[in-house]
Amino acid sequence: MGDILVFVEHRSGSIREVSLQILSKADELARGLSGRLTAVVLAAKADFLSSDFSGRADRVIVLEDERLSDFDFTGTAAVISKIIKDERPSLVLMGHTPWGMDLGPALSVRTGLPLATDCVGVSLDGKKIKALRQLYGGKLFARVSFKDDSRGCLLTVRPGSFPIDASPGRQGDLVRIDVPKDLSASSSRFVEYVDTGAGEIDITQAELLVSIGRGVGEKERIEEIRELAGLMGGVLSCSRPVVDRGWLPKYHQVGTSGKSVKPKVYLALGISGAFQHIAGIAGAGTVIAVNKDKKAPIFRVADYGVVEDLFAFSDALKEELGK
Amino acid sequence: MISMLHPALRSYAGIPGYIIGWLIFLSAIVLFAYTIKKRYMLLRSGRPDPRFEHIGERIRSLFVYGIFQKRQPRYLWAGLIHIIIFWGFLILGLRSLDLLTQALGIAFIMPILEGRAGAFYTVLKEITELFVLFACIWAAGRRLLARPSRYEGSSHIEAYLVLGLISFLMITDMAYDGISLLILGGDHTGFAPGAGLFAGLFSGSGPSILKTGHALSFWLHIFSFLLFLCFLPMGKHFHIITALPNVFLRRLTKGSIKPARWDVSDLDELDTIGVSSVEDLTWKHILDLYSCTECGRCTDRCPAAASGRPLSPKKLTMKLRDHAYERYPVFGKGMAVKKKDDDEEEIEIPGGIIGEDEIWSCTTCGACEEECPVFIEYIDKIVDMRRRLIETARAPKAFNQVFMHLEKTGNPFGKPASKRSAWTKELEGIPVKILKENDEVDSLYFVDSYPSYDPRAQAVAGAIAKTMHLAGIDFGILGPKERDSGHQVRRMGEEGLFELLKEENREAMEGIKFKRIVTTDPHAFNALKKDYGLDFEILHYSVFFDSLVQKGLLRPEREVEPGIYAYHDPCYLGRHNRIYREPRRLLSALPGVRCVEMERSRDRSFCCGGGDVILWHEIAQEKQRPAALRIAMARDAGATALVTACPFCLIHFEDAIKTAGLEKEMRVIDLAELLVSTL
Amino acid sequence: MDIVVCVKRVPFTQEVDLEVAKSGKSVVTDSLAHVINDWDGYAVEEAILLKERLGGVVIAVTVGSEDDEEVLRRALAMGADRAIRIDPGESSLDGSVVAKAIAAAIKGFSFDLVLTGVQADDDNQAVVGIMLAEILGLSHAAVVRGIEPKDGELKVRIELEGGIDEIRMVNLPALLTIQSGINEPRYVSVMGIRKAAKKEITVTGIKDLGLSDADLSPATEIEEVYLPPETGGAEMLSGDPSKLAQAVIEIMRRKGVAL
Repeated sequence: MGDILVFVEHRSGSIREVSLQILSKADELARGLSGRLTAVVLAAKADFLSSDFSGRADRVIVLEDERLSDFDFTGTAAVISKIIKDERPSLVLMGHTPWGMDLGPALSVRTGLPLATDCVGVSLDGKKIKALRQLYGGKLFARVSFKDDSRGCLLTVRPGSFPIDASPGRQGDLVRIDVPKDLSASSSRFVEYVDTGAGEIDITQAELLVSIGRGVGEKERIEEIRELAGLMGGVLSCSRPVVDRGWLPKYHQVGTSGKSVKPKVYLALGISGAFQHIAGIAGAGTVIAVNKDKKAPIFRVADYGVVEDLFAFSDALKEELGK
Repeated sequence: MISMLHPALRSYAGIPGYIIGWLIFLSAIVLFAYTIKKRYMLLRSGRPDPRFEHIGERIRSLFVYGIFQKRQPRYLWAGLIHIIIFWGFLILGLRSLDLLTQALGIAFIMPILEGRAGAFYTVLKEITELFVLFACIWAAGRRLLARPSRYEGSSHIEAYLVLGLISFLMITDMAYDGISLLILGGDHTGFAPGAGLFAGLFSGSGPSILKTGHALSFWLHIFSFLLFLCFLPMGKHFHIITALPNVFLRRLTKGSIKPARWDVSDLDELDTIGVSSVEDLTWKHILDLYSCTECGRCTDRCPAAASGRPLSPKKLTMKLRDHAYERYPVFGKGMAVKKKDDDEEEIEIPGGIIGEDEIWSCTTCGACEEECPVFIEYIDKIVDMRRRLIETARAPKAFNQVFMHLEKTGNPFGKPASKRSAWTKELEGIPVKILKENDEVDSLYFVDSYPSYDPRAQAVAGAIAKTMHLAGIDFGILGPKERDSGHQVRRMGEEGLFELLKEENREAMEGIKFKRIVTTDPHAFNALKKDYGLDFEILHYSVFFDSLVQKGLLRPEREVEPGIYAYHDPCYLGRHNRIYREPRRLLSALPGVRCVEMERSRDRSFCCGGGDVILWHEIAQEKQRPAALRIAMARDAGATALVTACPFCLIHFEDAIKTAGLEKEMRVIDLAELLVSTL
Repeated sequence: MDIVVCVKRVPFTQEVDLEVAKSGKSVVTDSLAHVINDWDGYAVEEAILLKERLGGVVIAVTVGSEDDEEVLRRALAMGADRAIRIDPGESSLDGSVVAKAIAAAIKGFSFDLVLTGVQADDDNQAVVGIMLAEILGLSHAAVVRGIEPKDGELKVRIELEGGIDEIRMVNLPALLTIQSGINEPRYVSVMGIRKAAKKEITVTGIKDLGLSDADLSPATEIEEVYLPPETGGAEMLSGDPSKLAQAVIEIMRRKGVAL
């Protein structure tokens, strides 16, 4: 008991950051539980595993098969649930990513283990696992426990919740296993990746981003902000609701489902600050947030905050710039 | 002296004249009756619309606006021309009927026109004919040379044709009378300039020319008179027949909106709502289509048209009329009939005949209806088309969220209802009671959504609360239980949501005792007064505060900020409720106020852009915001401060001033804010 | 294509200051307005769009009290043909119980597709959809923002991170969890919803679905909820807009932005 299993995600030949974040946290938890830490990598060819990587777990289970070159749900779920049934880990961790969102609940049904999703914190109360989650889009925190985790439990972890520590130098035994012979045919098949971010402008390279959110209120007023961005030599970007409403093309979108950006200054106008958005501006130098609602979550992560109507502020800014 | 038979008594190719008269007359009557029947069938296809209540009031308005044409001189010259021609018609109609009866050999009107009355009529007729002829030439000249822009898109050919026909009627009658004078021999019993003119023209002619001229002018007059009659129901000159009924049947109330259906009071019983096809219009709204003369005064005054939006009230009527005539043509099968055979795709009015953005362009300001000489209604038609668009999920997507917010939180912003009275906390030392059941106050202050939540409009609510407090008025608000008045919602066509908001507000008021309701917003005032059916005294704050100043309960003492003030009449205070005097009196009671009037004021006030659709749906074609145009008008009047009494005007004007960078030249202030600054 | 779409009614919390209930395990929601879960609105719209293109029947399902029928009426007004409410009575729920209940309620129906929202606005769990698919043995995909029926399969567009979408062919019958922005949900008027109220809603007690006590027992438990600490974060600037603008320009210059 006390063992931890981490499902490692990779895409286009590199390990995803969320998996490294989880492994770092898992290292700490494994010490608390005095258990063995196992990473599972499913790939067509796991040649992207660095030597540094192996030190992040006591054991790295690698399963190579052409069919697993991208996330194949049927294969992955079958393999992982078999490992869980065989090895009975106390805790199974994976990212709360689109793939994790598909895999986590399915594993819970298949293994009968309880599941907590989108966790932003994991703590131990003795040997019991406690998950910290957010409700109501971040307006509320909840500490969640499992009625019965005697057989183990599953957690999906929100990307960006934990830092990536230096490799702790675990043993890193490489275990190769074969694809189960009785693996059923996939219920779906991968076709291709499409980069929706490709557009006329590249927000990832901008030094100054002037970014708008739901607070802009209506499509037509976006022009006023575009003008402001132009005056400042910045690039216009936005949060998800603006794209969802068709007000701006997708390539303007900052956030987990859009682009991660790293400008020197990120000026957030009327953006409330959903975590999906915040995750996209982790690399920004300075975040200045303008919002009418002084309780907007964006102020928790911004460096500077302004409580003001975004258009009143934008008009004043234009005026000052004109001087 | 030539002895000559009356043209009707002579024979033409062996046929007696009066037989020919009867032939022409009967054919004309058959054609006319057939056309009228077709038009009547179209009218009958419309939905019920009660228009026969308050008969006294209707008769009065028939005289004032119909017979005496009160609205015509709002456009002075065109109005005068019209009045001359209209009165000419009344006077000369008798003469034409007289000639017609002569032509039929039953000249029963002629005896009336003998003796002193006849002599008087003859003089009157002579003068009128010249006036009408002159008016026709003037009208044609205006159309040809001055080319008023409001005639854009109107049928010019028909206008010239009709002017020509009227002139022809004048000329043929004058010629007939002139030649008659010559034939009867110099019996100049009275003043007859028209007849005299033609008598002069023909004075040297021989008997055969006189004879032919006499008969020709007579028959041509009869023929063109009947031709004119048959032509009327085919075109825009149908108004000659329908305008008076249209005025008689006009809406007597302003500001209200017709229910979804007049004949079904419970919305739940309706399968559909709003106007989709011609048959969904009320019969009166179809009569409106008959009555339009394409004069374009509506469009000339329309703020949507002025700002480049794709709406012209005149063209809206014309398009609906043409579509209706196409469905119910005088000759041949209409689309309504065709549909059953060919299963053709039915063209819907909203989205098909009238574009969606055309429908959303209207601010419901009522300028068009105020101007229309024959009381054609626009707002109800527009709202009915909107109802249809909403019902079939074709409203602009931006409305989805606004409506959802209104339904769920009672305000368009989706802000929590619990924060509706938060603005009162900012008022230092001014207690604002939040009323609950069994409370009793003098005045219930109905704040409405913008003044409750919008930071700019909150200042107005604060000024009103402070003024009431200073006047010693015992007042309170509904607080979190208050809902948006639903004024905009109703005019955007979401009737069900309006009913919901109305019921919630009525419930919130239940069990509270108060003498009157005072509102911040003219829209809320109008909604409570016209849409809610409440039994309370409902006042806009400007009227209430004016009365307090008159009674000496409020004493404006401090000087206002120096400047030249112009008062802007908000549509729903002015045009829709005729409140012009009180706000002006209140404004001029403030020390230091210097007032100017804008050219377009009072019932010709120019809408700021409106309190409804424009806030959530921009019309792409708009060239300049109505508010920007209004600011320019205020500057033209020499004003440095624009005073309004409506939170939407305030917001639009401030925005327009900022956009134009005129902060130094012009400011906008709400009357309540100005008042409170003097107390 | 016959479609089952799952909907949930959630509190509308925009700009609301949440208040923790006395138990410390939930928030006070009585005084809040309730709406259809945002993602579910997109799911219903997608179901109706597919029905309009391909024909078939749309059945809306919710787990909740009588008040929650409001979202079913909305779905009916949008174009769903039937609605089912599973009444939980006094049972406490979590994602796994809800998934089992819905599975038991719909397993006898014939359908080609089940749609749910990606997650719910209130608990943000994103589990019911995929659990339901697994219980019923359906193929599934999460976070879908595009569906294209093709030769008895569905070509779906899955939203991954960083602006990357994954295109996948999914076998039928399938369950997809629908991401916001996949379509523009239509407006249904208040009158339309009232009219939809005349359509019958089938109500089944959760205890009548043949589930065991173990099935009906939640696997997770909220021990405590708390509001995020207010402090920390941004240095707040104050003053009138022009002061604020000057301050912000100054900060930008200091941070090396060429203005």
